[in-house]
Amino acid sequence: MAEGAAGTAMAAADLKPRRLALSEWSDRNFKYLLIAPAVLLILAFSIFPLLFSLWVSFVNYDFQIPGHAFVGLKNFEQVVSDPVARWSLVVTVILSGSSVIIEFLLGLALALVMAKTFRSRGLVMSLVIMPLFISPVIVGQAWALLLQRPFGPTNYVLSQLLGYDVTISWLTQAPWNFVAIVIADVWQWTPFMFVILLAGLTAVPLHVYEAAELDGVGPWQTFWYITVPHIAPMMLLALTFRLLDAIKLFDTIFIMTGGGPGTNTYSSSFYLYTIGFTQFHLSNATAGSWIFLVLTLIVITFLVRRLLKPEAA
Amino acid sequence: MMAARVPSRSPRIATVVQFAFLGFWLLFLFVPLYWMFITSIKPSDDYLAVPPVWFPDEPTIVHYTAALFTYRGLDGLVNSLIVSISATVLSAIFGTLMAYSLARFNTGGQHLSFWVLSQRFLPPIAIILPIFLIYRVLGLNDTHLGLIIAYTVFTLPVSVWMMFAYFRQLPRSLEDAALVDGCTRWQALWKVAMPLAMPGIVAAAVFAFIACWTEFFFALILTSRNAFTLPTIFRAFIGFQGAQYGEASALSIVSLVPSIALGVLVQRHLVRGLTLGAVRG
Repeated sequence: MAEGAAGTAMAAADLKPRRLALSEWSDRNFKYLLIAPAVLLILAFSIFPLLFSLWVSFVNYDFQIPGHAFVGLKNFEQVVSDPVARWSLVVTVILSGSSVIIEFLLGLALALVMAKTFRSRGLVMSLVIMPLFISPVIVGQAWALLLQRPFGPTNYVLSQLLGYDVTISWLTQAPWNFVAIVIADVWQWTPFMFVILLAGLTAVPLHVYEAAELDGVGPWQTFWYITVPHIAPMMLLALTFRLLDAIKLFDTIFIMTGGGPGTNTYSSSFYLYTIGFTQFHLSNATAGSWIFLVLTLIVITFLVRRLLKPEAA
Repeated sequence: MMAARVPSRSPRIATVVQFAFLGFWLLFLFVPLYWMFITSIKPSDDYLAVPPVWFPDEPTIVHYTAALFTYRGLDGLVNSLIVSISATVLSAIFGTLMAYSLARFNTGGQHLSFWVLSQRFLPPIAIILPIFLIYRVLGLNDTHLGLIIAYTVFTLPVSVWMMFAYFRQLPRSLEDAALVDGCTRWQALWKVAMPLAMPGIVAAAVFAFIACWTEFFFALILTSRNAFTLPTIFRAFIGFQGAQYGEASALSIVSLVPSIALGVLVQRHLVRGLTLGAVRG
């Protein structure tokens, strides 16, 4: 008993300085300990996969064939020479480009209206931002339901309005399948542009407008020479963020057209998904995703440099 | 949410045009949601009626029970909750810790913070294949844990940047006072900075949760029969071979109500959430 108690006391005495040393150490390295979990997670699940995929793209990685023979640039050559891959890049540019431009214009128009004060503005605000909180899969689903023949009411309503029989297969007939995808994207992401542009509009100092009014400047001139320059940085920010998301386009295509008809609406992400996960050409898919990543990085570098310019000036 | 400040000085016609546009937008916004809701309570016999049935005479909840039980919507809902909540908590904790270090000690300078930001724009397709292969070796495919880790990493840039912006707004004088009073750095963080930053942490966590809740791509590839989340169930309805319009709609309604409710709750922080703190709003 006595021996045991003495042992515990000794252990406690021993522990105290050690605990102090530990706490000193943890205080000294405080700022590094704080970032450690996040940085390690990103390294392990983002940077390591990227390096791993770089290796996969230079070998023959196949579940059927044992071993990973080095094949040099063969995987890259196969992707680049695949007409579907090139078409998917065109699809990505067309769809993301047109969606982002339309979203920008509509978002700006909405922001200009919502910058005014009117009754029930708060309620309208809550309604307008709703699509941002809905899964893109569900947005695609909703528009598929609305457009789909023969279930959807769209053709019926158009026939009534236009006075002749409209029979468009919105999801399987080019170019209407593109229109359908863009509509779904615009429905979901216009609020994104709107929210950022509205923040820009409300940050323009009121006295600038008052001065313009005193000088008798017309509304169009006020818009072009006062509003636009003031919110230009916000416009660039909104366009950049949105474009970088838009080029990842996958969910709505998956749900609405399944890439079809044929490979007509394959976006780059959808193409890479298909060759990687339904055909299991893993090495081709990783080679292709590296090409896509580099193209994305070029866009990012270009846009971010522009984005930082107004602040530097 | 934001003060309306642009004075309405334009002529009356312009105002009418603007509000007509707003009205059209609300209609455009409303139509797919309405049709989806109506489809979810419409008897299957009404599906192909001409003219379309805009409101069913006999609403039914049969599609909801089918979606939740036959199509395992309930399992998907539970999986979505487990995965989204776990990933949100982890992301909020790790993100807040890192953001504090970045904001107070400028750890790693601009490079580290922009490196984290760049992860936000990484195309998921570029990392999903190797993650899939690594998970295959580790046995993490189709597990909650695998998807939780993936979602934690994928929401970290948002958590870090939102909290980074938040901590920079908070005065550091209170933490300094705590240090002078003999607190360790950990105590200053835990007992002083954290409680002050709690509104920001909650807002960042809600955005992380919504991102996880609505995510499709990772879940599509990393889960199948076991850990599948709500959005991935829509695979079953593609092509509509069995014409499960009602089930698809019912599941959509079940899935979108919680995230919209949460989103509207934090709409004050929306600008920061969308721009990762780059704009104060």
